[in-house]
Amino acid sequence: MGAVAAIMTLTLKEAMRRRAFLGTLIILVVLYGLSFLPKAFHEAFGGSERRFELGIQLMTSFGIDSIKFFASVLAIVLSAGTITGEIERGYLAAILPRPLHRWQVYLGKWLGVMVFCAVNVVLWSAMLWLSVYLQGRSRPEIWHALPYVLLYPVLYGTLALMFSSFAGTSVALMFTVALGAFAYFADHFLRPLVVFIDAAILQRIVWLSEWVLPMATLKRFVMAEVRLPFTGRIEDAPFASEAVRFFLNPPTRAWELGYVALYILVALLIGGIIFQRRDVQ
Amino acid sequence: MWAIETRGLKKVYRSLIGGTPVVAVAELNLQVPYGCVFGFLGPNGAGKTTTIQILIGNVYPTAGQAWVLGYKAGALAAKRRLGFLPEKFQFHEFLTAEEFLKLHGRLAGMDGKTLAKRIDEVLELVGLQERRKSRIREFSKGMQQRIGLAQAILHDPDLVILDEPTSALDPLGRRRVREVIEYLKQQGKTVFLNSHLLSEVERSCDMVAILNKGRVVKQGTLEALLVHKSVVVLELRQVVPSVLEALERVATKVQPLDTNRVMAEVADERAIPELARAVVYAGGELMGMQAKRETLEDLFIQLVEGEAK
Repeated sequence: MGAVAAIMTLTLKEAMRRRAFLGTLIILVVLYGLSFLPKAFHEAFGGSERRFELGIQLMTSFGIDSIKFFASVLAIVLSAGTITGEIERGYLAAILPRPLHRWQVYLGKWLGVMVFCAVNVVLWSAMLWLSVYLQGRSRPEIWHALPYVLLYPVLYGTLALMFSSFAGTSVALMFTVALGAFAYFADHFLRPLVVFIDAAILQRIVWLSEWVLPMATLKRFVMAEVRLPFTGRIEDAPFASEAVRFFLNPPTRAWELGYVALYILVALLIGGIIFQRRDVQ
Repeated sequence: MWAIETRGLKKVYRSLIGGTPVVAVAELNLQVPYGCVFGFLGPNGAGKTTTIQILIGNVYPTAGQAWVLGYKAGALAAKRRLGFLPEKFQFHEFLTAEEFLKLHGRLAGMDGKTLAKRIDEVLELVGLQERRKSRIREFSKGMQQRIGLAQAILHDPDLVILDEPTSALDPLGRRRVREVIEYLKQQGKTVFLNSHLLSEVERSCDMVAILNKGRVVKQGTLEALLVHKSVVVLELRQVVPSVLEALERVATKVQPLDTNRVMAEVADERAIPELARAVVYAGGELMGMQAKRETLEDLFIQLVEGEAK
């Protein structure tokens, strides 16, 4: 495992060198600042405790969504140029002839990106929790949602790394973003559309999108921990049938997490196999 | 047993979306003995880099076989005893020279104590001991080439493959590389050198293989390949028939150039003094002689152009 650890350390150093850490620090400060908005508004304009509480919940939810987004972007950016990009730039020319298997290089790079993203997600979550705590509230759900939030960069980073095993940086980036956009579009636009157009094809597309990229699955697990107390959500549409309401707001099931884990493992394996079998020149 | 051996090695690149397949290496048969400095020559596109990439396990051959130090090319056992300096490389510039070598030592499986000792040795050898704490991004191209050479020999490999090691170097840098090659040779290591600088190869190598269109067109020791055929230009007070007749008895080819100069070709450079004697005995007045020995460059051009015709 010495070679894997060496490559992982190198990838971490590379991430630091690419000023990724500086970017994450900026996000940290912005998150911290924004989280104080409810208190600032409360002090400036007054209002009920209920409104303040709602503001805190809104900022918690917004903070977690931001962490999910930035962690995913960070993972994609760090992973997309990792294999083919580094081959093209000549970084792997002196490393691959060393007595190590290519899967060790692949795994080391994956671990490096994941450790870097995980450290960031934990830091950002801690900052979010602290800012809420300093406003006199406690939001333990930030920590409860953390394992699922951590899976976002793992999912996107693994995908981008898999694409990078055969495609250049921009193509790997494009493939990953395209998949993410498809999953986002299906979950955020096609799924609510079912309330108005109860067509089987729509439901099938949404269902397929979750298999192609289980982003909505992860979202449900996060939402189960951090749910906004808003009423009148489209998921609660009173005029929709029971089946549609179930489709709009399916429960979280343990096996779905198993699927996410399997998905990540398979993507990791496919990328590793492609890298092992391809010519590197 | 050879340090490097290939039999019927072939590599064809095919495009995923049709197009004509490109034969980079075709039926390549190569034998590199242990302990020699072996020059691997060929024009651009001859298949040298692809062959090297197959030897280090980066590229899979389409057909044929390659062995490195008795193991199948690309096997971990072979890689453990192999050092490689790539032609096109980009080292992690944010690392210092020492950190860079530590990384490669760890990847080569070296223990801490041996690694620390070897880092001192190789930095001394490539002349970068004063810059061990400098970041690679601060290095000139030549210094980067030298740190690359240091990583190639760091783990004391039995075979060192150098792909265009002097391409970015000034004459001093080239001399340093020659010294390192000489050092490796004294240590009994095998050096496989791919270079376009034929004069460098001629100075450093014991054996060469000349590659063209993916095949070895000539392989052997420099002694055997450069058959010491020499061309001599004799400067006389005047070229007269008796002198030409005398020269024809010694030389394989005689050709008057003008009224004062004659070109004579001898099969062996040891026959050159005979030419002078022939001129004097024939009553000619020899004013000067200039011998031109066949070089590796002459042989290279002759072989490559011959193939083209």
